[in-house]
Amino acid sequence: MHKEAAIRQALILGDKSYHDITVDVVGPIENKAPTAWYVLITIAGLIALWGLGCITYLISTGIGVWGLNKTVGWAWDITNFVWWVGIGHAGTLISAVLLLFRQKWRMAINRSAEAMTIFAVMMAALFPGIHMGRIWVAYWVLPLPNTFGSLWVNFNSPLLWDVFAISTYFSVSLVFWYIGLIPDFATIRDRMSKPLAKKIYGLLSFGWSGKAKNWTRFEEVSLVLAGLATPLVFSVHSIVSMDFATSVIPGWHTTIFPPYFVSGAVFSGFAMVLTLLLIMRKVMKLENYITIKHVEYMNIVIIVTGSIVGVAYLTELFISWYSGVEYESYAFINRFSGPYMWSYFAMMTCNVISPQLLWFKKIRTSLTATFILSIVVNIGMWFERFVIIVTSLHRDYVPSSWSMFYPTWVDVGIFVGTIGIFFTLFLLFARFFPVLALNELKTILKVSGEKYKNEDHH
Amino acid sequence: MANKKQYWVGLEELENTPSFQAAQKNEFSEKAVSVDTFLSETNLEKTSTNRRDFLKFLGFSVTAATVAACETPIINSVPYVNKPESITPGVPTYYASTYFDGSDYGSIVVKTREGRPIFIKGNAKHGINEGSLTARINSSVLGLYDSNRLQGPMAQGSAASWADVDPKIAAGLQSAANSGKSIVLLTGTVMSPSTMAIVKAMTEKYGETAVRHVSYDAYSAYGIRKGNELSFGKSMIPDYDFSKAKVIVSLDADFLDSWVMPTQFIAQYSKNRNPQADWMSKHYHIESRLSLTGSNADVRIPILPSQEGAAILALHNEVSKLVGGTSAAGKTDGLPMDRIAAAAMDLSKNRGKSLVISGSNDPQVQVVVNAINSMLGNYGSTISTDRELFVKQGNDAEVLRLVSDMNAGKVGAILISGDINPAYALPNSNEFVAGLAKVGTSVSFARWADETATHCGYLCPDHHYLEAWNDYRPKSGHLALAQPTINPLYNTRQFQESLMRFCGMEGNYHDFLRQQWQSYSLSNGSESFLFDDYWYNALRTGTVSESVATGGSGIILNAAAVSAAAGGLGKNSSGSGAFELVLYTNTGIGDGSHATNPWLQELPDPISKVTWDNYVAVNPADAKELGLNLTIGQEEPASLVKVTMGDKEVVLPALAQPGQKSGSVSIALGYGRGAGGEAIGRSAFRTKEYGGYDLDGEGRKITIGKNVYPLVTVANGAMNYKGGSVSIEKLGETYPLACTQTHHTIMGRDSVLKETTFSTFQSEPKEVYNPAHLLQVRENGEILKRDVEEVDIWRSHPVVGVGHRWGMSIDLSTCFGCGACVTACHSENNVPVVGKDEIRRGRDMHWLRIDRYYSSDMSLEKGAEEGIGVVDTYRQMEVANYDNPSTVHMPMMCQHCNHAPCETVCPVAATTHSNEGLNQMTYNRCIGTRYCANNCPFKVRRFNWFNYKAYAKFTDVNPSQDATARMVLNPDVTVRSRGVMEKCSMCVQRIQAGKLGAKIKSQPVEDGAIQTACAEACPAQAISFGDLNDAGSIVAASETDKRSYHALADVGVKPNVSYKVKVRNI
Repeated sequence: MHKEAAIRQALILGDKSYHDITVDVVGPIENKAPTAWYVLITIAGLIALWGLGCITYLISTGIGVWGLNKTVGWAWDITNFVWWVGIGHAGTLISAVLLLFRQKWRMAINRSAEAMTIFAVMMAALFPGIHMGRIWVAYWVLPLPNTFGSLWVNFNSPLLWDVFAISTYFSVSLVFWYIGLIPDFATIRDRMSKPLAKKIYGLLSFGWSGKAKNWTRFEEVSLVLAGLATPLVFSVHSIVSMDFATSVIPGWHTTIFPPYFVSGAVFSGFAMVLTLLLIMRKVMKLENYITIKHVEYMNIVIIVTGSIVGVAYLTELFISWYSGVEYESYAFINRFSGPYMWSYFAMMTCNVISPQLLWFKKIRTSLTATFILSIVVNIGMWFERFVIIVTSLHRDYVPSSWSMFYPTWVDVGIFVGTIGIFFTLFLLFARFFPVLALNELKTILKVSGEKYKNEDHH
Repeated sequence: MANKKQYWVGLEELENTPSFQAAQKNEFSEKAVSVDTFLSETNLEKTSTNRRDFLKFLGFSVTAATVAACETPIINSVPYVNKPESITPGVPTYYASTYFDGSDYGSIVVKTREGRPIFIKGNAKHGINEGSLTARINSSVLGLYDSNRLQGPMAQGSAASWADVDPKIAAGLQSAANSGKSIVLLTGTVMSPSTMAIVKAMTEKYGETAVRHVSYDAYSAYGIRKGNELSFGKSMIPDYDFSKAKVIVSLDADFLDSWVMPTQFIAQYSKNRNPQADWMSKHYHIESRLSLTGSNADVRIPILPSQEGAAILALHNEVSKLVGGTSAAGKTDGLPMDRIAAAAMDLSKNRGKSLVISGSNDPQVQVVVNAINSMLGNYGSTISTDRELFVKQGNDAEVLRLVSDMNAGKVGAILISGDINPAYALPNSNEFVAGLAKVGTSVSFARWADETATHCGYLCPDHHYLEAWNDYRPKSGHLALAQPTINPLYNTRQFQESLMRFCGMEGNYHDFLRQQWQSYSLSNGSESFLFDDYWYNALRTGTVSESVATGGSGIILNAAAVSAAAGGLGKNSSGSGAFELVLYTNTGIGDGSHATNPWLQELPDPISKVTWDNYVAVNPADAKELGLNLTIGQEEPASLVKVTMGDKEVVLPALAQPGQKSGSVSIALGYGRGAGGEAIGRSAFRTKEYGGYDLDGEGRKITIGKNVYPLVTVANGAMNYKGGSVSIEKLGETYPLACTQTHHTIMGRDSVLKETTFSTFQSEPKEVYNPAHLLQVRENGEILKRDVEEVDIWRSHPVVGVGHRWGMSIDLSTCFGCGACVTACHSENNVPVVGKDEIRRGRDMHWLRIDRYYSSDMSLEKGAEEGIGVVDTYRQMEVANYDNPSTVHMPMMCQHCNHAPCETVCPVAATTHSNEGLNQMTYNRCIGTRYCANNCPFKVRRFNWFNYKAYAKFTDVNPSQDATARMVLNPDVTVRSRGVMEKCSMCVQRIQAGKLGAKIKSQPVEDGAIQTACAEACPAQAISFGDLNDAGSIVAASETDKRSYHALADVGVKPNVSYKVKVRNI
């Protein structure tokens, strides 16, 4: 058992026993869901259905139902893709990187963060699929042996790298998440009285018996997966950024993109985790587990990554001037003075200025302020991708082709729809899955539980 | 003995075995069970397969068979039983023919596939147009397949047969003649000698006093004929030779687009626009609107329409000062006298080698123009009165008299040819329609039940010109033949043949024509002994020449006419606060006869780049003052304005048009066709966003644009298209316009577009006007400057010097932006038509576009000098010069980069590089990520946003959704499906055919044997295509020319298309 310095704040508040933790986490699954849950899932479900309807319309009619044109070939589709992938970064970072760094505070948040990651990556993966003109041949991006002759994928294309990056990231995240769930499922199974549910949780828990051997293997697998997942945290968004960085379009063709995208992703991912957890902690009464301290830690990550992002923006701007390339410099002049300057300033305000408020301890420990800022950051990060994609494309090399992009109701519908699907999935998760890694939490109860800590102290 | 041979059935019989004997005995065995016995068998009930099972099996097999039959229906192609001699499936056949629709004329070559005409190109070897065509001519093939064409004769609104209508019409004509009323034959310009012979026969039949032949042009040039009559006593249009003119001064004569005989003038003019030839012509253009021709002038002088008289007088006086002639009194206030004086100076230096022309329909202006040309000694060199041009024979005075005669009941019968549409295009069309009701027998030969035809008693639809025989004499000394290239699609009959029937002539027009030509062959001479030789030679080449009497009749200028005209012009100058109106015909739909052609509706106007609409062009400064929207974009609609002229008014969107003279406005004629809902073509009406026609409050289809022919005024007995005074009132409503280009300046990007002046080009080295983009590189420790073209961090495709390497060179000096290449590409490559709403959304599908840039008053250098900051500098650079921008036209298509950015980013390798240097697009591999289009620096890739060949939105605009119009599709080119990317392929189907042709001949591919559709269509020879690896090819020579550059060379994509620096002669 590891020892924690007394000066550190307790991570589990209140007078909790092992049994209390179990009851607090498993209780909501066993009991009837609160009315709020039904209200929320109805709203989210309707939005999700609307989104699915829009997607059906898109696929049956053609990409022309979006607002794209001959100059701007990507807009909301890829903006949403990158935005969702970015959001999907926090989960793995929290579970893998923080595991390796032995940050025990991650235990209260990693389960939902990982769930969020998986759902976000699912939403992200949707867009490269539906943005294709012919989604019915989407499987051609896979290097499958085929009977079409000597056809093979183009390994030079960053879009192909995306396919591998996203699918690897998704599968590793899913496995990692699932492995973590196994002991918790077993706990639910053991407590469950309804026969069908018991059966299902029994199946899900893979025959976990809680033996020391099980735990050893569990820890080993977690460590191995953390080791595998950590490079992925950095590789996924680096590769996504190469969709732009390897192109010839001014504003895209930038070597700074990989680190800039990764920090942006962590930035937005933590913001989304905060948005979700602040609601969940309230609704599911998890205040004792997800404490102000947790929120503060996450806010600190946001300050750091937000500042990196801010530096990246300014570097980009400087380099565009310093390069002396007229197209490059115009691309950035156009960003802050052209017809889309509002989106540039929205991005700057949301991503660079607003996180700096978190330097104030009062703000960073205020739940309301954090909640608002987390949403602001996610709006800002959406605009960042919009700025990169649309303002670079709409005015590139040949002025005769310069144009504007205007979204249609289908663009908006699908984006809003994915938010609906995401929340539907997350609400289902919150209802049927243990939202905290309860067995992992129990490992820190004795060292970081408020009661135990205070006892030790006195 | 005779029958000794034994035949036996089998070995059994031969050997006569016992079993055989037994069997033979029992040949009709008793044991065989009869059907009845079988059915009455009681054991049958006990078998496992009972009735119910049987029915189940039956049901299953029927269902299975049905399901198995549910496959794609098999459509059998029926092969020829006897293969026609000239048709080999898959191999095109070409016919020389001639196009003339009443205004545009050209010798053409028609490409047919399996008996269907699918492509029209210019006849480069024969004919006065030397292969030059306009977009209107090469798009005319689509009109053949219009499913809205009349499918047979009609009498009083119901379908009839030819046998029915012929005697009735003949009787009608006879009764008109008998009653002493006139029989009027109202036609467009008739240049056909054989047709005139029939008209003559008709005159003979019904009496000379009864038959009146009236020629009418919707957009008339009557002023020129009238002016020449005043000057020389002969109503005619002389032949102009632009190829000899070193200085051209055009007073609003849009000779590259619509004036008199553009196809001939384009060919002549463009020869002298190459700065590397012996000399380069200098072109002054005086006009009120920014016309296609004006946009190509070296010096453009904007004036108000009312200043035309003063301007031409001023030019006259300046010239006469220099050459010593008499001058006439005239006002010069408000005129840019410096530039007019410069023009006069250049003219006087090039006496006999210059040309002054005017598009004015005011005879007095034409008289002064004639006087200037006469002073300069241009008659006999650049202008020939020995050779006449026979186009534009319309006589406005006669037409106007006809309308009043019809209303007065003096006309007993009227025959209206199909190439004109007076009920639409006459300024007083209401009176014409009213008069038509008073005419006893009215016959229309229109191919559609159009505005005029619907008011006629009998409709005798004429053939499309591709189904018909005809002959033309476009100018003295030239005879041309038109021949059918397909059997008539419908039960139509040639106009001339109908006339023959009405005056009791037997036989068909073809035989008549041959007969006529027999007499020409005799008069023309000695070339052929046999008429058949003469005839088939004419058919093969499309044209023959005739001898012209060079009478040397020295033309005598009527000096009195000049002073009278000068007196007349001196007076005319208006100064009212209202706007002066200019009406013109535009490049796409001309005088309105092409309004039903979706290719032409979708062809962007060469100047404004607006499609599918006409609009009021207003100078941006005036637009600002009126409070109108200055920019047009997808969600930036145009302001609607009300144009009022007396009691007539029309509501149209307004476009801020740089170069439009402040104080004047211009509107294109030819729009607003089918206002009465006439069936003039599927794509002639406005469609809704999700398909179907847009209807007005009364359930009528809404026209595309508005008809402004009612605003044509009549002055001095001639139609006057300019100078009418109108008031412009902003309505506060908006209307979307669909523009293919929404940004109009080049933003100082000289790596895209390079231009220079003639003097710089002549005196300075290449580095000044065509500098290479230099990169700093470090080699062996030394820092060097190297041309970006030589620097490569990539492994190159092994195409240089290996096999073929297809390339193209485009001369920006000779390209004048007409758009013929755009429609040729449309036609050759089955490019979908997407309609106004999609164009507005920036989704035009043109594989080839012409970028048009206006000059701006601001530049980065100027901004730095004035210290206004880079942001403001760029903002001001976005704004074009309002009053007189210089204009550049730049054709842009896939550049077939050797380091193509599109190729590396496609995840499925659907776009790849061929070993002949082509950037290829494999449609059936494309999954539609659009990454290639994003990564294309030239933005030439086009995405199939919808299923254009089936989606409801395009039903009424895209020809490939019409069962008849679909026949125009080129069978060599795939019609692309939804969700795939497409782009210029450099007509790979033609390259392939050319290579096969060479292979069959066992020869290397000859330079020029393979032509892309655009290169073939370019009337100015600005586009050349060929093999860059063939050292002797034109394109290889162009590539190394000192004017040659690669667009965006600094990006390093190494295109196979090169451009030549534009040189202005200033």
